[in-house]
Amino acid sequence: MSTHRVSKSFGHVEVLTHIDLEIHTGEVLAILGENGAGKSTLVKLLAGYEEVSAGELRLATADGSTVPVASWNIEVAEQHGIVLIHQEFNLAEQLSAAENIFLGNELKRGLFLDQERMLRLARKYLLALNCQVDPATPVSELAVADKQMVEIAKAYARNSKLLILDEPTAVLTSKESEVLFRLIERLKQQAVAIIYISHKLEEIERIADRITILRDGEMVGCYPASSLSTDDMARLMVGRELSNLFPNIPAPLDEIALRVVNASVPGLVQAASFELRRGEVLGFAGLVGSGRTALMEAIVGLRKLTASAQIEVAGKAVSYPNLAAARDDGVAYLTKDRKASGLLLNLNLVFNFSLLSLSALFLQRKYAGLLIDQKKEQRAFEQAIKTFDIRLKDSAITAGDLSGGNQQKLLLAKIMAVAPRIIIIDEPTRGIDIGTKSQIYHFIAELAANGHSIILISSDMMEIIGLSHRVAVMCRGELTGILVDDEIEEHEIMRYATGLKRQPGKNNSEDQLCA
Amino acid sequence: MAQKQAVRALVNHMKTSRLRTRSQLLALTLGLIILGVGSVANAQTIGVSIPAATHGWAGGLNFHAEATKQRLEAANPGLRIVLLTANSASEQANDLEDLLAIHHIDALVVLPFESAPLTGPVRNVKRQGVFVTVVDRGLSEAGIEDVYVAGNNAEMGRVSAQYIKQSLSDGGDIVVLRGIPTVIDEQRFDAFMAELEGSNIKVLDNKYANWNRDDGFTVMQDFLARFPKIDAVWAQDDDIAIGVIQAVRQARRQDELFIVGGGGMKEIVKRVMDGDRLTPVDVLYPPSMIATAMELTALKFLFNVPISGRYILGSPLITQENAAEYYFPDSPF
Amino acid sequence: MPEKFGFKLDLKTTGPFLALITLIIIGMLVNDAFLSTGNLSNILARSSFIGIVAIGATFVITAGGIDLSVGAMAAFISGCMIIIMNSLIGTIESSVAIILLAIIASAGIGALAGLINGILTTKAKIEAFIVTLGTMGVYRSLITYMADGGTLSLDFSIGDIYSEVYYGDLLGLPYPAWVFLGVAIIGYVLLNKTVFGRHCLAIGSNEKVALYSAIHVDRVKTMTYMLQGMCVAIATIIYVPRLGSASGQTGILWELEAIAAVIIGGTVLRGGYGRIWGTVVGALILTLIGNILNLTDAISNYLNGAVQGIIVIAAVYLQRGAWRRNKQ
Repeated sequence: MSTHRVSKSFGHVEVLTHIDLEIHTGEVLAILGENGAGKSTLVKLLAGYEEVSAGELRLATADGSTVPVASWNIEVAEQHGIVLIHQEFNLAEQLSAAENIFLGNELKRGLFLDQERMLRLARKYLLALNCQVDPATPVSELAVADKQMVEIAKAYARNSKLLILDEPTAVLTSKESEVLFRLIERLKQQAVAIIYISHKLEEIERIADRITILRDGEMVGCYPASSLSTDDMARLMVGRELSNLFPNIPAPLDEIALRVVNASVPGLVQAASFELRRGEVLGFAGLVGSGRTALMEAIVGLRKLTASAQIEVAGKAVSYPNLAAARDDGVAYLTKDRKASGLLLNLNLVFNFSLLSLSALFLQRKYAGLLIDQKKEQRAFEQAIKTFDIRLKDSAITAGDLSGGNQQKLLLAKIMAVAPRIIIIDEPTRGIDIGTKSQIYHFIAELAANGHSIILISSDMMEIIGLSHRVAVMCRGELTGILVDDEIEEHEIMRYATGLKRQPGKNNSEDQLCA
Repeated sequence: MAQKQAVRALVNHMKTSRLRTRSQLLALTLGLIILGVGSVANAQTIGVSIPAATHGWAGGLNFHAEATKQRLEAANPGLRIVLLTANSASEQANDLEDLLAIHHIDALVVLPFESAPLTGPVRNVKRQGVFVTVVDRGLSEAGIEDVYVAGNNAEMGRVSAQYIKQSLSDGGDIVVLRGIPTVIDEQRFDAFMAELEGSNIKVLDNKYANWNRDDGFTVMQDFLARFPKIDAVWAQDDDIAIGVIQAVRQARRQDELFIVGGGGMKEIVKRVMDGDRLTPVDVLYPPSMIATAMELTALKFLFNVPISGRYILGSPLITQENAAEYYFPDSPF
Repeated sequence: MPEKFGFKLDLKTTGPFLALITLIIIGMLVNDAFLSTGNLSNILARSSFIGIVAIGATFVITAGGIDLSVGAMAAFISGCMIIIMNSLIGTIESSVAIILLAIIASAGIGALAGLINGILTTKAKIEAFIVTLGTMGVYRSLITYMADGGTLSLDFSIGDIYSEVYYGDLLGLPYPAWVFLGVAIIGYVLLNKTVFGRHCLAIGSNEKVALYSAIHVDRVKTMTYMLQGMCVAIATIIYVPRLGSASGQTGILWELEAIAAVIIGGTVLRGGYGRIWGTVVGALILTLIGNILNLTDAISNYLNGAVQGIIVIAAVYLQRGAWRRNKQ
């Protein structure tokens, strides 16, 4: 398949300009670019989700020549074996994994569905992906990573010729990613072409054969993977040199901002205890499902803690019945899932920005008395745009129209509007380009330097190591250790995260490993 | 024995003579029942199935059914009456099945929600050897019921038209508010229009007001806005008439027209009795017909007399002179 | 994309107004009496019941809920008011005082009924559809029971004084229309200018985001149902003096008409987008259809329902379909 001077515009805004692309069978073509560079739009064109505004798509024929595509849409694309696996999944939540894998492609025996065979085949496909999920489980009950596996199994079951993966590893652990890479290798051998989009440059370096780099909707170039280092990639993407990705953060003060003793959440967290100092960045590492998010949500009142838990904020014992109480006490939580629980995607940016701070009584003079002062609200928003460098194409658009990086910055602005003393940040850079990542790291550093206390939950090991003063590690709901100084190192963290190692006193049940 | 003969004679009299009033019939049957207490050989069960009290007339129906049940049961210890109300035709069909299967009824008094859908279910009851009395709405198939008690919808329309013709002897313009599109409404309306034929009374327009006060008010408001001259209103139903009265009063046009309702609702009858110029008359269509039907059915068992045939209640004109006869302040209707 | 978006919002808000103007023109063509002051004030007064109820429904729907109990609730509150007023005759000298007491009681009952709906949906975690379907049945039977299957009538001594509330006018505009306007203005300010309104929008848009934005989701949702209950009470307060009676038939299908008015007005049924002025226009459109049909004999009575259905669908199409067509 190839594209020839393909452009796409929405209204007067051209988001893609003259893109030429060639995809060969049995190769992995990586598409790199900052958020908003047009990667997702490009692959949507290829998969028939969007119409091409100018230029043409071409398909290879049996004799090696290419023919222009007359009418292109999802169905036609699927007929040609082109499958896009989205950042947002395309699964029917209420159906089982097996039903999803064979959706629209059901196996029949006579007039009836051959449930048994579909289950058997689905299990086979999933096992090939090293995924242990029971194919009869409804998708709504699956973990995010497993949903992704179901998506890939679905494409696999259809004998796809061109598989487009848009940020597949954003929701996967490194172990799960490993399985995916092996699968990609295998697909390559079966002459499947793969387009791969990711922000993780190491991944690209590892699996890509060729790399196409986009910047602001235009092609920077197409390079053989072997000719680029990760630094080259970052430079080409951003168009400028990236210096010191992780800024220096001054040492924390002695003052304890938050003390948590014996915090348990039934079924999710057992007796976690830790302290957070003023001006400190405390990293929280662990595998997916290790209870980090549950612990933090419980601290800020989004979940129920057991009665044994004691929490002190600035030396005062607290127990927040809901998030509003935590917010009014200067404790804020920045959710990891910006689409599901962070932003109102169909509403405008100002509403999103002020949503958390509007009802905060202590801030009420800011822009909401009896009535909302929309002028003040707008001014505060414009200020935040500058502070957090949120890039807008048009101020009237909704939060859903923003790129992932700008959404994350908006979310940060929303949280910071309540001027919290303690900020719990959960996965701040998931699915975000390197330029924006770097900005967010600088915001975090600046906050800590100004005396805010920060808890940083992240599955990105580099991020944890690069930013944290200390690193707390959790494994299966237990806090297995708090690492300092030289201990903060990838392998050591993994040992604690998998339960191979525990600090004395941190926990006493040594009978099980975390998988 | 003499007693039995007397009853038979009375029943025959009821059948042949056109009963003009509800009270006449009531007096007859009541007299009989009180007279002849205790001749029920073994316990008998009568099932009564009627529509639920969703509007004024049906409210009256329920009131009379309940009151008759109390009275008959108190006077005749061997008699059991099961009263079920339904909100729809299909619910009523279920009720009929329950009456048969659970209550093992010996007789059924039924006021069908709608004629056609309930013909089958009632026939089914009849086939089990149950004595069947049908009230008000006839079944679509002849010969199922033993007794048919009904008001006369056509006569109601006719009597109303006659009064309007007579009052507007020099001719005039009238508007008509109809009920809900059903057979009952059709019969009343067709007879009304037929009676007016050839007269110099002009029907300006007719609209459905759904036997309901609010719709009566709204439709009349619009008629008043549309027609500068209206001499009379046929509201056909007293609930509609109440809405019409308010609309006319709002437009301050109570001096130019009069309203003919229908049914015999106590509020309207009271107005007639008090000589209200706006509602000089009303036309009877009594919900108490259910009482008549229940009493007739009870007679069959109490005296074991052959009771069958059609009992059609008249739709007399209620005027200031005779209004007191039709005024029941305790009834909800 | 941004230009298109602006256009879409534009038609979303002007669509209902276009439908209204079209209907007014049709009305004028159908009958000269349509524009008479009497007819216009009839329309305004008549649409106020559904309109006021629909303004309450705009909040419930914007916050992602639904209330099917409003019609039955209106009947129930009407019944309560009449019973209260009738029973106070003789104990309190002044009829005006009796009426005022009944009005206060009505607002209280409305708020309480809304509170019950709200608590059942938020605390007992039952779907709003089921909760309000249930309470609809309860209120509908209660009014039938209270009226003994018949009709509750307000005593004439009070009815005559109270009727001024429906039939009276100020500056040529009937009182119900003033009340409607007042409720609409308050509703507009509440939905668009206050934190509460913003929170309704947020909850309807995405409940989880609202929860993570420190919004008291249960409390706000419950408040929308209470607001709905109070709107029903206000509608009842101006409804009762019209005919001075309440029966099992009072308020039949109000819930559907109110929801229809809300949707015609551009509010999104699944929540997250609400338009008070659209709702006002929606209520007027519904009333106008009935009025115009009564002003003409060009259309068979049997087809009234069909005409109403087609106009409602056309009005919503104007508001949605038009921009969809433009997008392509």
